Amino acid sequence: MLRKILFACAFMLINTVTLWAQQETIEVFPSAPYDRHIIFQCLAFFWMAIIGLVVIVRMKLKEIERIQKMGIDRENKDIPLLD
Amino acid sequence: MKIAYSLVTRRTFLNTLFGGWLVAFCGGSLYALLKFAFPTLGKEPDFVVLKTGDFVNIPPNSVKPFAWGGKLGLFFKKENGSTYALKGVCTHMECNITYKPEDKKFYCACHKGWFDDNGKNIEGPPPKPLEFFDITTDGEKLIVAKKGIKVELPKA
Amino acid sequence: MSCQRLKDWLDERYDFEEIASIAKKKLVPAHKYEIWYYTGGIAMFLFILQFITGMVLSFYYIPYFEHANKSIIEIVTKLNMGWFFRSLHHWGAQLAITVLFIHAFSTLLLKSYRKPRELLWISGFILLAISIFFGLSGYFLLWDERAFAAVRVATGGAGNLPVIGGFIKAFLRGGIDVTGDTLIRFYAFHVSILPLLTLFLIGIHVLLVQYHGMSVPLSQEKKALKGTPFFPNLFYKDIIIWLLVLGVVVSLATLLPPEIGKKADPLAPAPENIKPEWYFLFLFQTLKLFPGEIMGLNGEMIAIILISCGILFFFLIPFFDRKSNAGEKSTVFTWISVIYLLYFVIMTVIGYLT
Repeated sequence: MLRKILFACAFMLINTVTLWAQQETIEVFPSAPYDRHIIFQCLAFFWMAIIGLVVIVRMKLKEIERIQKMGIDRENKDIPLLD
Repeated sequence: MKIAYSLVTRRTFLNTLFGGWLVAFCGGSLYALLKFAFPTLGKEPDFVVLKTGDFVNIPPNSVKPFAWGGKLGLFFKKENGSTYALKGVCTHMECNITYKPEDKKFYCACHKGWFDDNGKNIEGPPPKPLEFFDITTDGEKLIVAKKGIKVELPKA
Repeated sequence: MSCQRLKDWLDERYDFEEIASIAKKKLVPAHKYEIWYYTGGIAMFLFILQFITGMVLSFYYIPYFEHANKSIIEIVTKLNMGWFFRSLHHWGAQLAITVLFIHAFSTLLLKSYRKPRELLWISGFILLAISIFFGLSGYFLLWDERAFAAVRVATGGAGNLPVIGGFIKAFLRGGIDVTGDTLIRFYAFHVSILPLLTLFLIGIHVLLVQYHGMSVPLSQEKKALKGTPFFPNLFYKDIIIWLLVLGVVVSLATLLPPEIGKKADPLAPAPENIKPEWYFLFLFQTLKLFPGEIMGLNGEMIAIILISCGILFFFLIPFFDRKSNAGEKSTVFTWISVIYLLYFVIMTVIGYLT
């Protein structure tokens, strides 16, 4: 949190100083609102994808643990072959 | 209508869901990565701006090269003083061409291809004529543009 | 699905049964401190991320001092999603080094270095040193004022070591002073030499972990259950954690992209309030504690010698901690480890705030 505040202050300071010094700041992040909105939307989709995957993997894990508790996850050793 | 048994096992359901989602996720991430890794493939400019003074006064029946993106462009003044601009790239295998004033033809040394002074392919392997550009002058600025492109100059 | 045909194709040619049965046997103990087991895997995942983003970035970066800074500006402003991948590489690096320190200190405090795992500690320490050098060399490639001054200080500091200092300084700098040659040298380190060393050492490190199994802290040895199988239970848990870490890195990269400074001028004076990257701050702060001269000897050299001794002791801790090697509780070394951790954290925080 402190780092974010420091960063924001540093960023604003840099901006004002450079405006005064008439030097160009290099745009490390698109400034147009249209681009910004697309980027944040992509970030939201990305998180939804990740959370979806996490949920599915947890479902898999629960199933595996259920099977392991029942003891049916291993094949019997002397099982006859089908052919 | 409720059925007595499940059409798909729990295992198949979970594995398909997992696999499908994973493929989509990795595919999306890979797409982003590839978009970065592949550069904007060989884009040519729509127009270039040159200094009028540098080009307009070349002797008749001669060419002066200029940069067309990363490729060769030729500013061409015919014997009768009319000026043209063309892409100095052979339509066969993209070698740079040269102008032969004695023959009044363009020549490509790679496979001995010849073009006449209107750019038409007359001899050798080149399959198509040379690409010519539109020229407009705006005071000091000489604007060479692709045919059919509306040129909008940036401010200042 | 064609998965079965692929499996059959492979089965007809290679015998996976043996490897599969060994893999199935891998068990991970369960106890109070099992959460620290995940730190190594997270560090490895972040390194893989760094390798991938680094590889694509190296398509566009120009390691010549005249163009270096400009090539990065081009990446960030002109290329599709260039700003994102550069930001991702930056935050991946910060997180990787953070997690590595967490991993190092957690193994230190849980005494995983004790017999028979001494080589794990040794290889791990070398990997930590390599990662810090990764960070320094990568940061230098920016060729802005801060990076330039940082490398001057770092290589100058290394030069203060007695006897070998001069050689190390000249080797790192590629000459007497920090120049374009230094840039090319650091590029070679960052892109080729260090990655190969890292791959080799990580291979050894991971193989040794498979061989020895996971270390259980002394206090938990009786209580620990023999535990969960790695495949598939913990493998999936690892995947969940890695996915969440990926989410965090991507969010940081999107919301807090790093700045780019002006191109470095070797003749300009060092900018005000110059500070190295955070993982050097504790060294920096320690140097500040020492006066310029102690009893007629160069204060900085004494500081560097003392720091080197401290780091050397840290490196060789498995060999000093006799009690742990015998399997006994070793409170002295627990306190030493806590002091190391506290010193590192406090000095870093002080360095950051001043």
